[in-house]
Amino acid sequence: MNDLIPMLGGSLGNPFELIDMPIDDWVTWFVDWLVDTFRDFFRTWVSPPVKTVMEGVQWLLTSTPPLAVLAGLFVLAWRAASWKVGVFAVVAFAFIGFMGVWDELMTTLSLVITSVLFCLVIGVPIGILCSRRDMTYTLVRPILDIMQTTPPFVYLVPAVMLFSIGNVPGLIATIIFAMPPTIRLTNLGIRQVPGQYTEAATAFGSTPRQILWKVQVPLAMPTIMAGLNQTIMLALSMVVIAAIIGAGGLGLLVFQGLNRLDIGQAFVGGLGIVLLAMVLDRITQGLGEKAPGSRASSDD
Amino acid sequence: MIRAEGVTKVFGPNPESVKPLLEQGKSKDEIQAETGHVVGVNNASFEVGAGEVFCIMGLSGSGKSTLIRCINRLIEPTFGKIILDDPEHGELDIATMDGPTLRRVRSQHLSMVFQHFALFPHKTVLSNVVYGLEVQGRDKAEREELGKKYLEMVGLGGWENHYPDELSGGMQQRVGLARAVATEANILLMDEPFSALDPLIKVQMQDELMRIQQELGRTILFITHDLDEAMRIGDHIAIMDAGKIVQVGNPEEILVNPKTEYVAKFVEHADPTGVITAETVALPFTDRYFNQIREEGGNQVWTRTGYTDVEFHVDTNGHLAAMRCEGNDVALHELEEKVTETGGAPERHTDAAVHCTTDTILKRVLRGRAYSELPVVVQDTEGRLKGVIDEPELIHGILEKQGYAQDD
Ligand SMILES: Nc1ncnc2c1ncn2[C@@H]1O[C@H](COP(=O)(O)OP(=O)(O)O)[C@@H](O)[C@H]1O
Ligand SMILES: [Mg+2]
Repeated sequence: MNDLIPMLGGSLGNPFELIDMPIDDWVTWFVDWLVDTFRDFFRTWVSPPVKTVMEGVQWLLTSTPPLAVLAGLFVLAWRAASWKVGVFAVVAFAFIGFMGVWDELMTTLSLVITSVLFCLVIGVPIGILCSRRDMTYTLVRPILDIMQTTPPFVYLVPAVMLFSIGNVPGLIATIIFAMPPTIRLTNLGIRQVPGQYTEAATAFGSTPRQILWKVQVPLAMPTIMAGLNQTIMLALSMVVIAAIIGAGGLGLLVFQGLNRLDIGQAFVGGLGIVLLAMVLDRITQGLGEKAPGSRASSDD
Repeated sequence: MIRAEGVTKVFGPNPESVKPLLEQGKSKDEIQAETGHVVGVNNASFEVGAGEVFCIMGLSGSGKSTLIRCINRLIEPTFGKIILDDPEHGELDIATMDGPTLRRVRSQHLSMVFQHFALFPHKTVLSNVVYGLEVQGRDKAEREELGKKYLEMVGLGGWENHYPDELSGGMQQRVGLARAVATEANILLMDEPFSALDPLIKVQMQDELMRIQQELGRTILFITHDLDEAMRIGDHIAIMDAGKIVQVGNPEEILVNPKTEYVAKFVEHADPTGVITAETVALPFTDRYFNQIREEGGNQVWTRTGYTDVEFHVDTNGHLAAMRCEGNDVALHELEEKVTETGGAPERHTDAAVHCTTDTILKRVLRGRAYSELPVVVQDTEGRLKGVIDEPELIHGILEKQGYAQDD
């Protein structure tokens, strides 16, 4: 009894001395284990598709003459949104070109297109699965929260350990960081489809699959497009961070500019990113508004 | 064609548990108070014959939508059978069939029209109309041909490529109707299809439906909360109150002989002139109300008790051979010859009268009565004199929905 008093006295005000949780050691151990066990798996199965798509997109964009890229951009923006957006997109891209960083723009655009493609290919099906059963979404939701709230810097290190330096770890980090809105809004969009439409489809003898593809997904399209828009914006916000681990493009200009205190270069890179963001934002917003499913809102 | 046997739907966590209470005959309110379960439909049975329009009528909340959704199992019935007479497979119980069979039945035998149209907003009018055909797996050319045919039928030829939000409510429901008939399902389920429309449009759509029905002869289950609508289009009417079907009958039976106070309340406000027939209101030609005053040329001469100035000369076959008013011969015309759709100006003849058949509706009789001052003569299909309709009968028919004579 007497022995206890000094012991308690010492830790009474500060209980944290009693127990020492070595979380940092555990994480180090876990990451080491992860890297040791899965490095080969990731390098043979995850790297190549990401790398191939990235190189394909980049090859396409850089081997096409800039004027042809501008023409294609105009047509795309005009079809997706309006001719005004088309003009704006061409002016913005030309401006970046005249700043002398066209190649960097194309690299960044390739990074964004590649990561967003993967976000869609993985995120939309997961979003659809989440919308089918409450249970699935209950399980997926905390993972999405972690993906979105973890600062990207935290997984840069494991990403580099798994994939080494270069475009690939940057892309993987971008995909992880930018995917949650696609999943969330696909799930939300499908759940928000008014019951009367699925009821009507059911009454005509549709299978669940027919209801999904003929009614729910088209009507959810404006919401899914909003998710795509957010995903693109998040992917762009990763461009500078990805440059830290070896991705090129406009992000690299900013990162190097800051390192060398070359404010001019950093500004050029930054301005390029902002203009690219505005162009992509207008185009995807137009896509959402023009989706046939957007007629649902004016109907009720 | 389709038959419901004891269909019951209980909403709540443990629907089966209220079975004993239902069997004890407890009401919806009692069961809700005791167990918290909501009885949507309580032991509903009825049968709809092929080519018939069967109306289900009741106040809002009486369980109409729940019942019609049990028929195609958009809502799973808790108890009961729904027997479909499938020409290929014989009698099938919809309530217990498996998923694929249910989908086949929905796609080929049952189609539905919704109160708020439920047109797919992202599809054009034509793709809406062919939706059911698409589900049936018909090829594109056939779909479009059928789709256009049925759009034409509902009067929307040329609107194929518009979107539903570009159409008025009435037009949207025409599309809904076309979508339902296009699957060539023999049973049409219609849940208050015209309730969301303006009164004028509503009447137009009722006419339209009856015209299409004449052409197609489908079996229709039609829900409404409007008795006049039910009377206009229904061959039979079932009245629902708190989940139960309280009376089934043809419009006139319901109007003339309401079984419960609830039905009587509805009937009180209904317009009887389109439903009640001459047979119901006519003063029957019997010696209770008529006196034979003499014989003349082989015919018996009768007068109505208390009205000696009009004579009815009846031959040995029971046909009206002649009619006289104050000693002058009266010309007899067929009612339908003298009555136009709108009635025209009253002519008030005293030297002419009209005759009609027993199934003529009161509205036509009233128009006939405006042509002449004299009573309308009611005959059966063989031409035998069955009775007459004069002012007291008309007034009684409209106000009391029955014959003057039945009172005493
Ligand atoms: N999903 C449901 N859950 C609980 N109660 C319901 C549900 N759907 C309908 N009800 C109840 O069932 C009864 C009948 O409703 P409904 O069939 O919609 O009536 P109606 O179509 O005649 O207006 C009402 O008391 C309603 O509150
Ligand atoms: Mg209803």
